[in-house]
Amino acid sequence: MDEINTLMLILAEPFMQRALVGGLLTGTLGGLLGSIAVLRQLSFFSDALGHSALLGITLGILIGVNPMLVLIPFAIVFALLINQLVERSSLPTDALLNIVYSSSLAAAILALSRIETYRGGIRQLLFGDILGISQLDLIIVTILLITATIYLVMSLRAQVLLTLNADLAGAVGVNIKIHRLAFIVLLAVVVAVSIKAVGVLLISAFVVIPACAGRLLCRRFPIYILSSAILGGSCALLGLLASGLTNLPSGPSVVMVQFMGFITALVLSSNRFKRKEDASQELSQTPDVNLNDP
Amino acid sequence: MLSPVLMASGLCVERSGRLAVDDVSFALEAESDTALVGPNGAGKSTLVAALLGLLPRKSGNVEILGHCLTADGRLPRSIRAQIAYVPQSLALQGLFPISVKEFVGFGFDPPGPRFPWKGHRKRQQSVEQALQRTDCVDLRSQLLSELSGGQLKRVMLSFCVVRPRKLLVLDEAQAGLDFPSNERFQQLLLDLRRQEGWTVLHVSHDLDMVRRSSDQVLGLNRRLCCSGCPDHTLTPERLQELYGPNMVPYRHHCSG
Repeated sequence: MDEINTLMLILAEPFMQRALVGGLLTGTLGGLLGSIAVLRQLSFFSDALGHSALLGITLGILIGVNPMLVLIPFAIVFALLINQLVERSSLPTDALLNIVYSSSLAAAILALSRIETYRGGIRQLLFGDILGISQLDLIIVTILLITATIYLVMSLRAQVLLTLNADLAGAVGVNIKIHRLAFIVLLAVVVAVSIKAVGVLLISAFVVIPACAGRLLCRRFPIYILSSAILGGSCALLGLLASGLTNLPSGPSVVMVQFMGFITALVLSSNRFKRKEDASQELSQTPDVNLNDP
Repeated sequence: MLSPVLMASGLCVERSGRLAVDDVSFALEAESDTALVGPNGAGKSTLVAALLGLLPRKSGNVEILGHCLTADGRLPRSIRAQIAYVPQSLALQGLFPISVKEFVGFGFDPPGPRFPWKGHRKRQQSVEQALQRTDCVDLRSQLLSELSGGQLKRVMLSFCVVRPRKLLVLDEAQAGLDFPSNERFQQLLLDLRRQEGWTVLHVSHDLDMVRRSSDQVLGLNRRLCCSGCPDHTLTPERLQELYGPNMVPYRHHCSG
């Protein structure tokens, strides 16, 4: 009973209401873009973008501009640069991304540790502070969610064909270059905007975990995208409520709920697979029936 | 006489800093079947990619259905909608969550952005017909990643036949197929080509099949070494010129 009272008290606070709406929108956005990013093997790319975003924040602090204003253009330029580097280099993509993100993370932490006022803020940047979400943040995330939804719905054919085989997509009229860049830029902006709520270290979980859970459960493409988005949003909401009740950090709480969702999806999908195997085994063991027999 | 569906003249294409295709010219007559043969690394896939506008050309021109392919590989949407392509493979790692029916439906939609529910009923009807014509009706609800190699190739043909097209390009579409699957695929391709009036360009290493089914052969080894009808092109001398002196042509007795 005490827990329910505590929860109601927390829910009455405007900052908590903003946090819940922000979490719901950010989680939905992460799941939505994650569904394509995972299939296109861009999970590590989103992780690298998230880690490197700290450098953008540091740049903002150093030049005396609101770090969040610097972060979006920084993330876009950084994503395009990484994309160019990956396309032109003969080194493996994961190794290149590792070099880029670990060096930019190291540079950012070294610079931040020299700035007296931000020593205490590093933890918030690393793990997020969803309770600090403002009205403006909510408006930006809402616009981004609407933009991403319209783009993905309108370009669903292009996204699928591009993921299956880029040459096939190009041959039937998909503008490969534009759609690749558009998706990477969108992913970069989403990562940049979600950093405040989720933190640099956990942002990739918002992109990867709901999409992987959705992939285990769904056999139809639109349903897969929809369920990844719904899983992302609902896990974020549940995680924030759990965080409010237990007074634990919000970002990690959400990620743990996402992880539990993934485990549930894993169990459900393996049960379904087992049932299917049993059914086909039963079918193969059924003796042939001779219809001519009396 | 029908005008050529595809014409390439003086085509040069660079790949990784070297000239992979050098001064290639040819034409594909309407409703003909042309095989592109040559050793590995001869530039066959590079030539196909350049013809489809997927790779930039160093020089030369490509004309498809009377329209010039621009330097950056663009064609009018109405022309793109009449081209189909069958790649060697699809990236179907793990459980790619797309069913056969959904995939074939994407073949029906014309190029360009659109809401997926637009023209849903007509798409469904066309998909059902395409699946019937390629003997894939039983596969409609299966995931692409659950199909065997032969089934996947038949589904790829459903993707091509789901809307009217003029030009079909296949890049080693038979790669990885066993003998019965290959025979079944070739027969289906032949039937559909006749019914649809497709002009076909296919990259192949199966010279026996090329001899049986193609009207024209292009022998490529960076340059066009030989071209013409199979009987004149697939001679031991020409093949040794194309593949090198160690090439020992073998012909099945049953293939005539």
